[in-house]
Amino acid sequence: MKFLSAAALSAAILLGSHVSALALDRGGVMTYGRYTDSLFLDPVLNDANVDIWVMNNIYETLINPTDDGLGLQPGLATEWTLNETGDAVTLKLREGVKFSDGTPMTAEDVVWSLDRARNPENGIWNFLLASVDAVTSPDPQTIELKLKYPDPTILSALSVFNSAVMPKAAFEAMPGDTDKAKAEEFAKKPIGTGPFMLESWDRGATMKLVKNPNYWDQGEDGQPLPYLDGLTFEIIPDDATRILKLQSGDIEGAEFIPFARVAELKADPNINMELFPGTRVWDVIINVRPELDGKPNPLSDEKVRQAMNYAANKDALVQVVTYGVGTPLSSFMSSTTPMHSGDGPLFPYDLEKAKSLMAESGFPDGFKTSILTIAGNQDDLGITTALQQMWKEIGIDLEIRQVDNASRTEQYRNGTFEMRTGGWTNDIADASQITSYFAYSPTIDALHSGWKNEEVDKLFEASQKEMDTAKRAEQFARIQEIFNATGPTIPLYETPYPVALGKNVNGFIQIPLGNNIFRETWLAK
Amino acid sequence: MHLASFIVRRLLQLIPTLLFILIVVFVLVRLLPGDPASAILGDRALDADVERINRELGLDRSLPVQFAVFAKSVATGNLGNSIHLKLPVAELIAARLPITILLTVMAALIAVLFAVPLAFVAALRRGRAADSVVRGAFQVGLSMPVFYLGLILLTVFGARLGWFPVGGYGDGFLDHLYHLFLPALTLALSLSAILMRNLRAAIIGVIDAEYVQFARAKGLRPRLILSRHVLRNALISTVALFGLSIGTLLGGAVITETVFAIPGAGRLMVDSIYGRDYPVVQGLTIALAVLVSLTFLLTDLVQAWLDPRVAR
Repeated sequence: MKFLSAAALSAAILLGSHVSALALDRGGVMTYGRYTDSLFLDPVLNDANVDIWVMNNIYETLINPTDDGLGLQPGLATEWTLNETGDAVTLKLREGVKFSDGTPMTAEDVVWSLDRARNPENGIWNFLLASVDAVTSPDPQTIELKLKYPDPTILSALSVFNSAVMPKAAFEAMPGDTDKAKAEEFAKKPIGTGPFMLESWDRGATMKLVKNPNYWDQGEDGQPLPYLDGLTFEIIPDDATRILKLQSGDIEGAEFIPFARVAELKADPNINMELFPGTRVWDVIINVRPELDGKPNPLSDEKVRQAMNYAANKDALVQVVTYGVGTPLSSFMSSTTPMHSGDGPLFPYDLEKAKSLMAESGFPDGFKTSILTIAGNQDDLGITTALQQMWKEIGIDLEIRQVDNASRTEQYRNGTFEMRTGGWTNDIADASQITSYFAYSPTIDALHSGWKNEEVDKLFEASQKEMDTAKRAEQFARIQEIFNATGPTIPLYETPYPVALGKNVNGFIQIPLGNNIFRETWLAK
Repeated sequence: MHLASFIVRRLLQLIPTLLFILIVVFVLVRLLPGDPASAILGDRALDADVERINRELGLDRSLPVQFAVFAKSVATGNLGNSIHLKLPVAELIAARLPITILLTVMAALIAVLFAVPLAFVAALRRGRAADSVVRGAFQVGLSMPVFYLGLILLTVFGARLGWFPVGGYGDGFLDHLYHLFLPALTLALSLSAILMRNLRAAIIGVIDAEYVQFARAKGLRPRLILSRHVLRNALISTVALFGLSIGTLLGGAVITETVFAIPGAGRLMVDSIYGRDYPVVQGLTIALAVLVSLTFLLTDLVQAWLDPRVAR
């Protein structure tokens, strides 16, 4: 017994020394090539992934999503409890946390930040905290959330960017009469508790972040994080140029590598071609309203949609469009979403079945229809031209209409489109967000498709109050079963985030929600 | 005196032109399908959010009211704030338009440096090997798409040879010039091809003209004939073409700026149109219209200097 524990101890020491022998290097500035610039660095009022996916380097939340995007880990709160009835959360704040300007983070800052985030007048993310009735701080290290009703998503919601903690006094000292005006000033030189702080921002060109000297966490070497002295985002919109700059050593990382170049960069000995698991799913969204433009809509026929699904060869699409990088979908939500269910690919290619379904449908002779795609988007064009060929086999004549994004969104929101391509990524590590948009009709008419299923709507409402995890998983399983079989989409595939890094880059991660995390990134010398 | 009144007249003409452009761009950008709120929020937009944002932006009011508000603020020199970037439009233009102007000026200079000497070589060696080589080479330059040419130059002179930076804009004026050389060259090649062909034809026309034959008969030195008589007269139409091309060059800057990762006004314009960022589109259009008008004025002045009849 004694011997065993001694062996375990020496093994642990060995392992420990092994880790420190791995000798990470500190210092240096990493330049990361982005396809477009951020717009507005306010956690509450922003509305775009270009902000959301980098803001965690400046601002932090009480709870953080884990690296696999499925669970939660401590952030500015070290521990938390959700009471049994699910209507109160108590969080313990981390001690000694300072903002990048050196002022200590207080419970007052936390209460104010959460109140600002949940204010229905502020931005588009307040729905995430809609269940919160009151935020209080009984003592300087404790935060209490009283909820209006049991909310199984509340802890995940506290890990979403909009509930990040901001310094109340510094924010309120900004010029301007309204929250919006103050936020616009504050976001020019944001102050947060994150590992980096904004040094300068040359719009459309470079955003320079430097190490926050007051950061609370320590690295593996016992010294304060982050390892990097600085982090520069360089805006390089052209994919080919972004890759060229990485290959020539001007930059250390490049995001959004086109699928077509992934294999080539994997073979490049000077580059680490990473495919970080994402929550990104790609679909064709179908308008299923019984009538369109005063005429009967063949796409409202369930058999027609099933035929189209069986006739769409997803394996071929994965090869043609994603060059093998993607995976056919097994549910409408990505396999990285908590409570995802479904094991095999949906509607595996079966032309005979598709033909017989068409024959049984109300439109055995086929019909003409159209699909909206983004002009100039190669993925969209690849998907739709392939579908055009595949659906010709079952008598469907598909017209491809290329429009710009804003035009497509308008037709989408008006419900006047026939079909369109669509992509989605989760903002929260929970199945509720994607389900709310895809399947729950009150949100946006199930992707503006006009699809409605009473059972799904009821199950979703129940799932939003169900505190029993197993029961909640069952509810989502049933929702997925119904939607996957009869829903208004052609589920295509899910894809990872393709990021190319220099060989000297270590410890960088993009989590499934899309956040780029440079907290523990270091450059080997 | 003559020239001064010419300039004043032309500047006055600019006012109705700008007013017209103001109205057209104001209406056109709003005729585009989609609105800023949908563009901002994308596919996930909820009706309530779209309504709220449109209300905040004053887009729920009637077009004439919106125009009145806009015209009033422009008259006081305020171009409004960018919807997406939350910054004053004037500030954005001041930061990014000079980059595009510098790029355009460099491209124009390079184009002239290429076009003028080569046009002479081609014209004077008309029909011979040198003529064919010059014209053939420029045909390639003319027919190559800008983005492709840009990528080739980037790959060869940037990544492979390391002579020039692989895109970006650099820090400090000299570094900017260094970074802008390849993109300016990219833009210049097609323009110089057009200028060269035009100038070559003009030179050929002038060389055969009677006054040149007369000058030659008088025994003037060929160099003098070329510079004083041939070039000056041949340039008149090329200068006009050059002035018109500046507008095209500004348009071409959009693609070049994207390929070479230059944070210029072209990219800002494209992003703003896609994002339905009305104030930026309006402000940039006005700024570009002024710029192009001033270029035309300058072109006219040069033409007037070359050929005094123009100013009359």
